[in-house]
Amino acid sequence: MTFARLRSLGFWSLVVAILTYMTLPTLVVLMTSVNPTEILAFPPEGVSFQWYEKALTYPDFQRAFKNGLIVTSLASTLALIVGSAFAWLVYRYSFRGRGVLEAVLWSPLIIPHFTLGFGFLLLGGAFKLQQGYGMIVLAHMVLVMPFVTRAVYVSLATIDPNLARAAANLGASPFHVLTRIELPLVLPGMAGGWLIAAVLSLTEFTASLYVTGSRTQTLPVAMYNYIREYADPTVSAVSAMLIITTTLIMFIADRAFGLRRVLAIDTH
Amino acid sequence: MIQRRPFFLTFLAPAVVTAVILAAALFEVLQYSVREFVPGSLNVGGFTLENFTRINRPIYWWVLLDTFYISLLTAIFSLLLSYPVAFALVRAKRDWVRSLLVSLSITPLFTGEIVRTFSWMLMLGSDGFINSLLRKLSLIDLPLLIMYTRLGVVVALVQFSMPVMIILLATAISHVDRDCEKAAANLGASPGAVFWRITLPLTLPGMLSGIVVVFAWTMSAFSTPQLIGGGKVLMISNLVYLQGFSVLNLPFAATLSLIALIAALGSLVLMKALTGRLEKRLAVR
Amino acid sequence: MTATSQAPAAVELVRVRKEFGSAVGVADVSLKIGQGEFLTLLGPSGCGKSTLLGMIAGFLTPTAGKIVVDGVDITDVEPYRRDIGMVFQSYALFPHMNVFDNIAFGLRMRKLPKAEIAAEVRRAIEMMKLDGFAERRVSQLSGGQQQRVALARAVVIRPKVLLLDEPLSALDKNLRAQMQVELSELHRKTGLTTIFVTHDQGEALSLSDRIVVMNRGEVQQVASPIELYRTPANGFVASFIGEINALPVARYERTGNEAALVLPGVGRLAAPARDSGLIHGSAVRAFLRPEHVRPALPDEAGPNTVSGVVAAHIYQGSHTITRVEVDGLGLIETRVTGADIVSAHPVGAPIALMLDLGEAVLLAAH
Repeated sequence: MTFARLRSLGFWSLVVAILTYMTLPTLVVLMTSVNPTEILAFPPEGVSFQWYEKALTYPDFQRAFKNGLIVTSLASTLALIVGSAFAWLVYRYSFRGRGVLEAVLWSPLIIPHFTLGFGFLLLGGAFKLQQGYGMIVLAHMVLVMPFVTRAVYVSLATIDPNLARAAANLGASPFHVLTRIELPLVLPGMAGGWLIAAVLSLTEFTASLYVTGSRTQTLPVAMYNYIREYADPTVSAVSAMLIITTTLIMFIADRAFGLRRVLAIDTH
Repeated sequence: MIQRRPFFLTFLAPAVVTAVILAAALFEVLQYSVREFVPGSLNVGGFTLENFTRINRPIYWWVLLDTFYISLLTAIFSLLLSYPVAFALVRAKRDWVRSLLVSLSITPLFTGEIVRTFSWMLMLGSDGFINSLLRKLSLIDLPLLIMYTRLGVVVALVQFSMPVMIILLATAISHVDRDCEKAAANLGASPGAVFWRITLPLTLPGMLSGIVVVFAWTMSAFSTPQLIGGGKVLMISNLVYLQGFSVLNLPFAATLSLIALIAALGSLVLMKALTGRLEKRLAVR
Repeated sequence: MTATSQAPAAVELVRVRKEFGSAVGVADVSLKIGQGEFLTLLGPSGCGKSTLLGMIAGFLTPTAGKIVVDGVDITDVEPYRRDIGMVFQSYALFPHMNVFDNIAFGLRMRKLPKAEIAAEVRRAIEMMKLDGFAERRVSQLSGGQQQRVALARAVVIRPKVLLLDEPLSALDKNLRAQMQVELSELHRKTGLTTIFVTHDQGEALSLSDRIVVMNRGEVQQVASPIELYRTPANGFVASFIGEINALPVARYERTGNEAALVLPGVGRLAAPARDSGLIHGSAVRAFLRPEHVRPALPDEAGPNTVSGVVAAHIYQGSHTITRVEVDGLGLIETRVTGADIVSAHPVGAPIALMLDLGEAVLLAAH
């Protein structure tokens, strides 16, 4: 074996080892979720779906899942509308105060989620809206909006600016330029951004812990409360379902809308 | 007159409203941080700066230092483990290998912190995967104590932060001009020398921003230290939660949140300054 | 030349000015473009030609001045109400539409009946030789085909003026020559008033009725291609259009029917005695095209024979450009057919040149 082959073999072994470290916890979750007993055993001593049954029939999880769907659908859709409009504005116009507005709307990427969650908790308190859906939706919307804005902005930036001019030149009013040219071209970006926003909102935990109450808690919060009280693999089953769902969504999003571009991952 | 800015106000209004709500929430934190704590009540008293002077006690200093220490360790190990993966992800010759690497390294980002923290609890617990495996192989008699230690927290946080680090590094590596590497090889550099002398230095800005982003991100981690630290490892986020929900001292919790926010912003400003200088030095002209 | 000052202008620019901050993009340009004329805006990049085009199309608002099309002031009219067709450098074909929908877009915006749109588009497709491509996505087309779709799309709305913004620059050399012919044909068939922007003097010379040479936002000369080549108005135009030798500044002497250039270190050269408005004793500069310089015959000796040393040969196939270092004149280029000069006068060898100053352009030197 040549030295080059040896080096390449070493490098790829290292990569495989690191990827094992990254993916092993997920595999263990999937494994324990179908484990017949409460005590983990390796290798597993059979396959059982009792934990899935328990998870699906546990009232807290049922309600939390419903809450999560309400919050996620509202928050990600609001983020889609507001974020797309803002991305278009930033792409098209420069105006006074744009920098400040951008900084404020991007800040949830940097601000710790517990600070934001705490802020929305206090804000809700000030308006007697604490633990209500309104505040939860607002907090989630603010948290996921940068991702939608970015996805739409990236799509817009790849459009030849002359397309809008060409359309105007051919007689298209600003409304028609928007609806016939720009909207169809950014639709994939919007859809991708919306899916990312939905997944992030569905799995958001820290801020949700602050802004939800026992009645309005979302799935991750319910899972957290369960973990603190019980040690059986019911949460493994919920986790497994979440992992499978999000992975599927992301896979579809990548295939359909080129997620890598939205996330700005250049491989070539 | 040419209508210069169609849709300007229509599209601006919702963004402004959102920004105002967000700013209001942050302002509430600021506002609470300078209020007096009334024990036994959620209502707060008048203006005070006492919350800020209260930080100046050893226990809080230790929490802050611990937070910095854990975040720094996480950032460094995250960099070391992410670089080979990012390199493989960019440079793999086969398309399917690249796709597989992207999927494996990026999808964990979207399963959420609770799922990922829980999976590490299953890994690290005294009856967890690692201990069971080691016992089965008869390598140990007594379970290793990894849960409820800094080591356990860092091990989970590193895995947690790697997707972001990999994205940043992959971007940096893919921007390296391959002709520079070819030129170096042409001048007699071995593949190793090409990597250490050309590729690695050119990706230094990406590495630096990766370190700072992960550092800032880890400083605001909550569920991992909360569940894997189990109260034995306290980071600033856990202290905020403790003060806010157990002691019900909302003003002090607000002060701590504010400090966390400032630390996150500060590291970002530092990164901008550092990478800006580095990139200027690396620019050809 | 179709344009005369009496005929109503299709487009009239009146002291049009565009400033970008403190920089002047276009400086007070006034122009009249005749009905059906093919006019070219020619100049180096940054000369303001594209800015001018953008203002005519309505994408840029002039800082001052007005733009009149068919007698109507359109300076403040929105771009989408101008009825001016345009072909973009990048073509700007709508990537989410097929060829048919791209061409039909302008007609749909005008809310024409469906049947009429279909008929018009079909005619345009036929005219631009795009038969069979109607359902293709634009990304599946070659550069030349995309170019034709862009042209069809602009022409099908029957615009008052057709603007072409460097439409040939994205094509490779062979295709460019072919598209030049097609553009010319299209202009003849449609009779559309056309404003063509290019930095390529070859394109400008072969296509235009008139050429507007621009530099630094200002119009340098407006003339027909032949006039422009033969009698450039100033040094910029002289050196921008074709190759030209700029001789050093000389003293102009005129006595009766004879004129001469007096150059220090060279002596007297006989100059054309055309009535050029040059004053006896003034400083002038002569511009001489390489085809008007030739190697002197062995026994030839005249007033305009100079000697020098061959510095370089640039072989171009059909002809050879030879650079000669002439004492007192600097580098002079000569252009001769074939390649015989390469062996007859190798680099470093002395050579005598005959300057045909009768063809030179004399301009007052400042």
